Amino acid sequence: MNELLEQFLSESREALQGIAERLMDLESAPGDQELMTQLFRLVHTLKGNSGLFDFPEMTRVLHAGEDLMDAVRNGRVHYSQTLADRLLDAMDFVGMLCDGIEAERPAPATLSGESVALAHSLRELLVDSGEGAESSAVAGTAQALPTGGAVPVPGSKPDAELLLRVPEAVRMQAWKQAQEGASLLWLRYQPSEECFFQGEDPLHQARLTPGLLWGGLSARAAWPDLAELDAYRCMLDFDMLVASSRADIAQHFRYVPEQIQMLEVSALDLVVPLGDPNGGPVYEDFVSDALGFLDAGDLVGLGRAVRSMLELSSSALWLSSDLRWIALLMAARPADLAAVRSLIEALRTLTAPRWGGVGPSSVAAVATTTVPPLGQATQAAAAPAAAPASATEQALANVLDVQREVLALPDDAAWLAGRIKAAIVCLSGCLQACGRAHEEPALRAAAAAALLAGSAAPVAQWLATAFPHGASQLPPVPLALPALAPVASVPIAPVPPPSEVLAAVDLHEPDARMNRRAEDANGAKTLKVDQLKVDRLMNLIGEMVVAKNAIPYLATRAEDVFGVRDLSREIKAQYAVINRISEEMQDAIMQVRMMPVSFVMQRFARLVRDTSRKLGKEVNLVLEGQETAADKNIIESLGDPLVHIVRNSLDHGLELPQVRQALGKPAAGTLRIAARQESDRVIIEISDDGRGIDSDIIKNKAYLKGLIDEATLERISDQEAINLVFAAGFSTAEVVSDLSGRGVGMDVVRTAVERVNGSISLESVKGQGTCIRLSLPLSMAVTNVMTIASAGQLFGVPMDMVVETVRVPQASVRSIKQRQATVLRGRIVPLVSLNALLGLAAPPLSNDDAELAALVVRIGEETVGLLVDDFHGTADIILKPLLGVLSSLRAYAGSALMGDGSVLMVLNLKELL
Amino acid sequence: MAMEFKKKRVLLNGAVGVEDAEKLLEWLQGKGATQVDLAACTHLHPSTIQVLLAAKTAVSAWPADADLARWLQTVLPSIR
Repeated sequence: MNELLEQFLSESREALQGIAERLMDLESAPGDQELMTQLFRLVHTLKGNSGLFDFPEMTRVLHAGEDLMDAVRNGRVHYSQTLADRLLDAMDFVGMLCDGIEAERPAPATLSGESVALAHSLRELLVDSGEGAESSAVAGTAQALPTGGAVPVPGSKPDAELLLRVPEAVRMQAWKQAQEGASLLWLRYQPSEECFFQGEDPLHQARLTPGLLWGGLSARAAWPDLAELDAYRCMLDFDMLVASSRADIAQHFRYVPEQIQMLEVSALDLVVPLGDPNGGPVYEDFVSDALGFLDAGDLVGLGRAVRSMLELSSSALWLSSDLRWIALLMAARPADLAAVRSLIEALRTLTAPRWGGVGPSSVAAVATTTVPPLGQATQAAAAPAAAPASATEQALANVLDVQREVLALPDDAAWLAGRIKAAIVCLSGCLQACGRAHEEPALRAAAAAALLAGSAAPVAQWLATAFPHGASQLPPVPLALPALAPVASVPIAPVPPPSEVLAAVDLHEPDARMNRRAEDANGAKTLKVDQLKVDRLMNLIGEMVVAKNAIPYLATRAEDVFGVRDLSREIKAQYAVINRISEEMQDAIMQVRMMPVSFVMQRFARLVRDTSRKLGKEVNLVLEGQETAADKNIIESLGDPLVHIVRNSLDHGLELPQVRQALGKPAAGTLRIAARQESDRVIIEISDDGRGIDSDIIKNKAYLKGLIDEATLERISDQEAINLVFAAGFSTAEVVSDLSGRGVGMDVVRTAVERVNGSISLESVKGQGTCIRLSLPLSMAVTNVMTIASAGQLFGVPMDMVVETVRVPQASVRSIKQRQATVLRGRIVPLVSLNALLGLAAPPLSNDDAELAALVVRIGEETVGLLVDDFHGTADIILKPLLGVLSSLRAYAGSALMGDGSVLMVLNLKELL
Repeated sequence: MAMEFKKKRVLLNGAVGVEDAEKLLEWLQGKGATQVDLAACTHLHPSTIQVLLAAKTAVSAWPADADLARWLQTVLPSIR
């Protein structure tokens, strides 16, 4: 994955988060213009970024979102719940795409369809804003659901008229390919009007379509005056005949699936003879002969008859076209004799045969009206005043065009000689008609050369020089009517795609476009750094601290071993400097790793909104102290427990609105998540004003579960009882039903919090609400430990557990049964030997005054005196958790490297005691 | 040079891009009947095609590129 993409992904995540937040904020303040602008900007930036990569699905959805937000920003569409829901859905989709990209999964094929549906549902809000949105939403999604790349219209076929735009030769080629098993598709590509602004070139795109057989352009509407023409609004449609699979086409046009219409073309639909009827149906002799051959099964005879008839007839005739199709159909194996028969019979009426689905009337209409007999053509041509050509000129042009076409036909036909001769006769007639008989010798020479070479090219060349203009190979349809209004712009375009509506809106605001660009130009002041790099820095500074800690040992050695006191003092002075700098460095790196609590809190806006809507509850979420910062690892570890707690509060703590009102509380419950810093701890409180926890039920449950004995049951306070929900094994299904689930997974929550050296407590007043308090260290990278010696080994004890260090005279140690205890300032403190805890045989050593070293530590609410051999100083260490096979040693929280190279084991007193 | 303007005729050469449409439109304004020579043209941006269509410009020479010529012949008129 390249760096740009990585950055894009991280920025996208951020932007998605921002979008979700703004949407939440907007929910409480729908009229806030500033928020709306920010929201638009985020969506816009995200869309722009996605355009840098090959993620058409993402860009499509975001583009729709951007248009929608733009409309909302400008007050054309009003903010609504539906709008927020759909935008959130769309953003979830984008998030999912991001996940897919990050995991380098190939995008599933359904994505494109999904994105179209989403974009459509967004766009819909643009069209019918406000109240109408709800009802149309259902229809819209239902409509857009049949997905799979482009939006296919099942069962429909392209118009016969459209197919007739394709020249006969191409249709024949397509027919052959269809016989060979290719699937034929008719594509209608209607680029959006503003596509030029997006740097698209639809013609280029269309020309590169896989399996393209023929492509044609058409105008969507009549062209306006040049003065009013907007050259940069695309008004062209593209029609294409392709021999290709739907999937290939969908892939080729994956950026614009909504602009592509795919229609199946059956091979027979292409078999439509077209040409000059030349005085009407007069071929009865041939038809009866041909049918005779066919009935007798004499295909060879039929083929011969067709060929000789072809040789005799002008290639522009309807007859010839029909015959060519017959020849082609007969060449196929197996020949479709029914179709051949229909084609032969068609000669009686000069009407294209009906091939099932195609509207035969329209084909007939095309065959007779678009290619009228020459005389009529001139009349038709005279009608539009724009074409003042005389009847003779018109006729001559027609004849020449036909001959040009004949000569341009492939030279591989068996009847080439006949064709050339026919053309020569026709052309010499033309020369005589227009008084240029003297040019005939040149024509004859060309003819001789052509016959000799077996190619029509020499005659075609002669034709091009003799009648130079309009060296055209016009397709058959406009063939007879070039004098008609130049390119009758047929407004065939059906329902405009929704994007067109958009385009109309968009283009009226060229300056809005400019504004957007200007908004892009705010440079970022933040530097994005991979967390790994910071972690590496963190490790390095850890090693540096260790190395630094070795200097005092060096100073001691200088004095003791080498006896150089001055040097020792200088080393110590230097050490002080290095120490100060390294501490500052450590602090600075900590700062880099610090993250505001808002990182985890942001997600609650969405969570609370979604959950409360699902449960039918009204909840005001109050977030406080979002800027409180703590180490990234701590903040991240908070995420899951907090989600758990919040969900519990919503689900079981807060009552339904009507219940609340009956109890005299406001209908909307309040969920407050407050964070603050208390010395080196971060305190997070999650409180609700719901129904609270009934301590009696908890007590009974705990007793029944055997978590507490009878005596405790009597003695325990309500507050203590409630904290029993954290006890392992308390969260069972039975409790869920009795207690409305309060306490589910609280054990898990507690474990997660304690893993990062945090603590959790719960307060609840029945009927008034619950408050859960999490206390977490600011940072867990550097741990301050008290080092102690016991049985000749050094151990570390985390400083936050240490209450005091005392020397207890052996005389004041009392034995209570097997246990030892002493009285410290009027309180009884139990004493435990560390050696005993660790299974070391040696008894605790006392000093010369017969005093035992007792390290008083606090574990939870208990105070315990730990008997050790001796105290050493405190040290800042980088605590490394035990890994691999050692990780099962629960007695140790981890290890650390000391300045002199020794390893310090840090005790996990909670586990030990 | 993608475009060469003669008196009543314009030659379009090579690949004619989107930015040429504006210039072409300007030139065509108030010219009446005009012709375009596409012989040396290899690609026409659709915006240019639109301009030619709206101006009813007739094609005096089709592109040598047969593929492009086929596309354009479906919509642009030839001179007569």
